[in-house]
Amino acid sequence: MSTQSDTIVDIQGLNKWFGALHVLKNVDLTVGSGTRVVVCGPSGSGKSTLIRCINGLETYQQGTLRLAGTMLGLNARETARARRQTGMVFQSFNLFPHLTVLSNCTLALRRVAGRSRAEAEDIAMAHLEKVRIPEKAKSYPGQLSGGQQQRVAIARALCLNPRIMLFDEPTSALDPEMIKEVLDVMVTLARDGMTMVCVTHEMGFAREVADQVVFMDGDASSTAHPPATSSARRDIPARGFFSKRS
Amino acid sequence: MGFDLAFALSSVPIILGAVGTTLFVALVSCIGAAATGFLFEMVHRVGGIAGLTIGFVIDFIRSTPVLAWLYFLYFVLPFYGIRLGSMTVGVMGLSLYYSGYLAEVFKAGIDAIPRGQSEAARALSLSRRDAVIHVIAPQMLRNIAAPLGNYFVSILKATPYLAVLAVPEMLGQAFDIASETYRYTEPLVVAGIIFLVLALAISHGVKRLERRLLAVGAR
Repeated sequence: MSTQSDTIVDIQGLNKWFGALHVLKNVDLTVGSGTRVVVCGPSGSGKSTLIRCINGLETYQQGTLRLAGTMLGLNARETARARRQTGMVFQSFNLFPHLTVLSNCTLALRRVAGRSRAEAEDIAMAHLEKVRIPEKAKSYPGQLSGGQQQRVAIARALCLNPRIMLFDEPTSALDPEMIKEVLDVMVTLARDGMTMVCVTHEMGFAREVADQVVFMDGDASSTAHPPATSSARRDIPARGFFSKRS
Repeated sequence: MGFDLAFALSSVPIILGAVGTTLFVALVSCIGAAATGFLFEMVHRVGGIAGLTIGFVIDFIRSTPVLAWLYFLYFVLPFYGIRLGSMTVGVMGLSLYYSGYLAEVFKAGIDAIPRGQSEAARALSLSRRDAVIHVIAPQMLRNIAAPLGNYFVSILKATPYLAVLAVPEMLGQAFDIASETYRYTEPLVVAGIIFLVLALAISHGVKRLERRLLAVGAR
């Protein structure tokens, strides 16, 4: 299903500090087009920071980060242009509460992609159908459940037709009974061939879709393995973590 | 000195005649103060030298009497060749003075918006301008409807300062009647009641607006 010839994200020796705190230590990561990378690890290990670096929401101090061929952080305009290749889904949804579900999805289509209202609404409705929530188009985010809000957030991110989707713990703020509806949408996306980087603790999801699992540890640099071996091998730090989680 | 109802009623039309001026000054000053205050806060937020300068300007404005501003604009600027009409000076003075306060209100309203909102706007590649117009400002307005309304009432109540520039606003007209007739009670009471009615009307309107804003997509 996937060809790895086309690299979308290329991270080499990435380092980041928040003041004295060294959050990212020599992180290497390559994400090929059509591949699914799951990032996991304990709290505070820099998972969210890493994924936020990929679309330039965070800056880094050392190393290189190429997104769709553009070095991020050198030039604000080029960083912004490269960011358009990404869609991001946040742990806390971050839908715009004063706009309807449909307007949440059409805002960037109209203001960034320059689409007409009718075009934008058609595209948005198609994505809302993909996440199985078209009937809520006229509702406001505050009237939806957490799972519904997160599915809308996924649709909103998909509207600009990104080449890569970034998920920052998309199910961590959800009640258990809503996790599945969001994961189902993400699995469908993965099956459709979307390139994804996903920070998550959902090991079932990782096993089902991941081509590569990156384990981040506060002390060691990240290690990457194919998922089939990552929970079986004895010599990797991730093992205890995985067995606790899954 | 008793209260002469007939005299009070006879003063009503004259005082009401100035309501238009009072409301006009108040309305334009509210718009001017809100626009200037929002601009101040936007520059302040960017930081750097411009931000620091604006921060100082805001503090300076808030630490000086509004009358000082009116006198300065009206009596000092002509020495530098800038001669403005009394109405213009009045509106400028009130706008500038209250912009300092409104900048702080806007700041509080923006600070109360969760950080994730502007991050989501950035992640969606919205320009800074679009993020402010479509994401930040509407949510800010919802947060600050009540204090904003209070300041609009304050601006209305500050219009009598313009009497010092001979702008024919309501309280000045009432006082003119009083000075001519040596009857102070009636015209001042009438003017006071009209101010009360106007202020209550604004408060009521703001409360309704706030309820409507909060009802949109109730969180």
